[in-house]
Amino acid sequence: MHLTDEERRILDGAFGEPQRIALSVLLKLGEAYGADRMLEITSAHVVGSSYQIAGEAGIEIYGQLVQQGARVKVRTTSDPGSIDFARWREFKTPADYAERQIKIAELLDRMGVIPTWTCTPYTTFNVPKFGEDLGWSESSAVVFANSVIGARTNRLAAYVDVCAALVGRVPRFGLHVPESRRGEVLFELDPDLSASFEDYFFPALGYLVGQVTADRIPVIVGVRQTTFDQLKAFGAAAAASGSVALYHMVGVTPEARTLEEALGGRLPAERISVGRREIARTMEQMSTGQGGAVDVVGVGCPHASIDQMRRYATLLRGKRVHTGVELWICTNTMVEEMARRMGYVEAIEQAGAKLMVGTCHNDCPLGAWGFRRLVTDSGKFAYYTPTTVGTDCIFASTEGCIEAAITGRVERR
Amino acid sequence: MSSPRIIFRGNGCAPGDFEGEAVVSSRPFGFWQGIDPQTGIVIDKRHDLCGTSLRNKVFVFPFGRGSTGTPGIFLEAVRNGCAPGAIVNVKSEPMIVMCALLAEAFFKVQIPIVDGLEATPQDVLRTGDRVRVNGSTGVVEMLGPAC
Repeated sequence: MHLTDEERRILDGAFGEPQRIALSVLLKLGEAYGADRMLEITSAHVVGSSYQIAGEAGIEIYGQLVQQGARVKVRTTSDPGSIDFARWREFKTPADYAERQIKIAELLDRMGVIPTWTCTPYTTFNVPKFGEDLGWSESSAVVFANSVIGARTNRLAAYVDVCAALVGRVPRFGLHVPESRRGEVLFELDPDLSASFEDYFFPALGYLVGQVTADRIPVIVGVRQTTFDQLKAFGAAAAASGSVALYHMVGVTPEARTLEEALGGRLPAERISVGRREIARTMEQMSTGQGGAVDVVGVGCPHASIDQMRRYATLLRGKRVHTGVELWICTNTMVEEMARRMGYVEAIEQAGAKLMVGTCHNDCPLGAWGFRRLVTDSGKFAYYTPTTVGTDCIFASTEGCIEAAITGRVERR
Repeated sequence: MSSPRIIFRGNGCAPGDFEGEAVVSSRPFGFWQGIDPQTGIVIDKRHDLCGTSLRNKVFVFPFGRGSTGTPGIFLEAVRNGCAPGAIVNVKSEPMIVMCALLAEAFFKVQIPIVDGLEATPQDVLRTGDRVRVNGSTGVVEMLGPAC
């Protein structure tokens, strides 16, 4: 791999031990994947901010780095933590667990990480531009940055994202190379399907695309109009059920102005038609167990935007969450603050729903609640909940989720 | 009886030299929610190795799948001395390679990884075989068959 003089000096330890260790990890990673050189990045986003992910090994690593004087070199934001820092007692988080998460927060602070505690850093504080190289990890954020913005990042692992942040570099391979960003699997939507796209089609379509695509690059044709939140939901589902890090939606995403551009002038390796039947079959797979009484409803995965907060507030105004049901809306402190000013938080809380800020159902220890059945409008939650929360999970539309919280019951579609 | 010694050549993805007993699966594997980092035992109920210990084994499987949080669990296992000793894949996904590189950088434990052998590793190696993996040269040696 070609290294600059500065990079050689980093490896010689001229800029301290943290940078030396960080670059040596990135160098070996680059060598394993045929990188020709390092690229300078404009930002990093780190996923090992959560105690659930980092554990004691993470505390040891961050502790070592901080002791050696580590500071991030580029703008770096944190993924959600494993507690709501303001309300962890309300969410029945064990105190010793919260204490370990707070320890991680302190260590990240000392390295200069911006404490956004969100999986949607691209909405505020860490907004990349088209064509920029990044060192990001959180899978739903990686897929958004690559696909919707047209920035370039591989799916970095926890701690490798910190290595990238410490030296402001990543090895040039994979999605940093323009020729490796061409679409490989073509999904063609039936015209009657795309004519009447509902919100809940997007996580379901993403889930289906992820299952089929695995780690290849999908191209979707036939989506005419989408919102920011629909693309966010689609990508998060595809990144969870597969490991999709980049998708092209023809006429929607920036590297897919035409089908030819999305495919890089080549033929797709596989072509798949998607109609109502395929969506219905996928939605069936996204739920586990039977319908019935609901314990907990989870929306805001990825973290809810201000538009979504308005929607929840509208749906909940004048209503009441059923006794014995928990409706938790996951978001970050930035959106929370704005939603509070706009009166949405009041409407949500008056209905008996709770905001869960800086974390989510899948990142928090929920054992003390004894939940059995979770309802969600998120494809990512639907994928992970049976293992992370350990409950059955029913996938529903956003309206269906709010309805389930109010009536205390849900049916499988 | 002299035991056969077979050499396979592939690509070294993470450095190190390790000799141990093979645990072989023909199914992809994800460490995140796949192993108990306190013991190294596979806990993924959907996996054919569920209940098997990977601790200090040469873990042979086609490819990894997994969340970007994978190193959390993997390094916890390394820290507890319960991680696999070496990994042989058909194709190593970057997530697994990153885990091994982090283990070396932060815990001074080398876990060699080799992929791209001329033969399909899960077809030519059996659970219990004595195997040596060199992640720097990309050489995997079958030193002796399972008893």
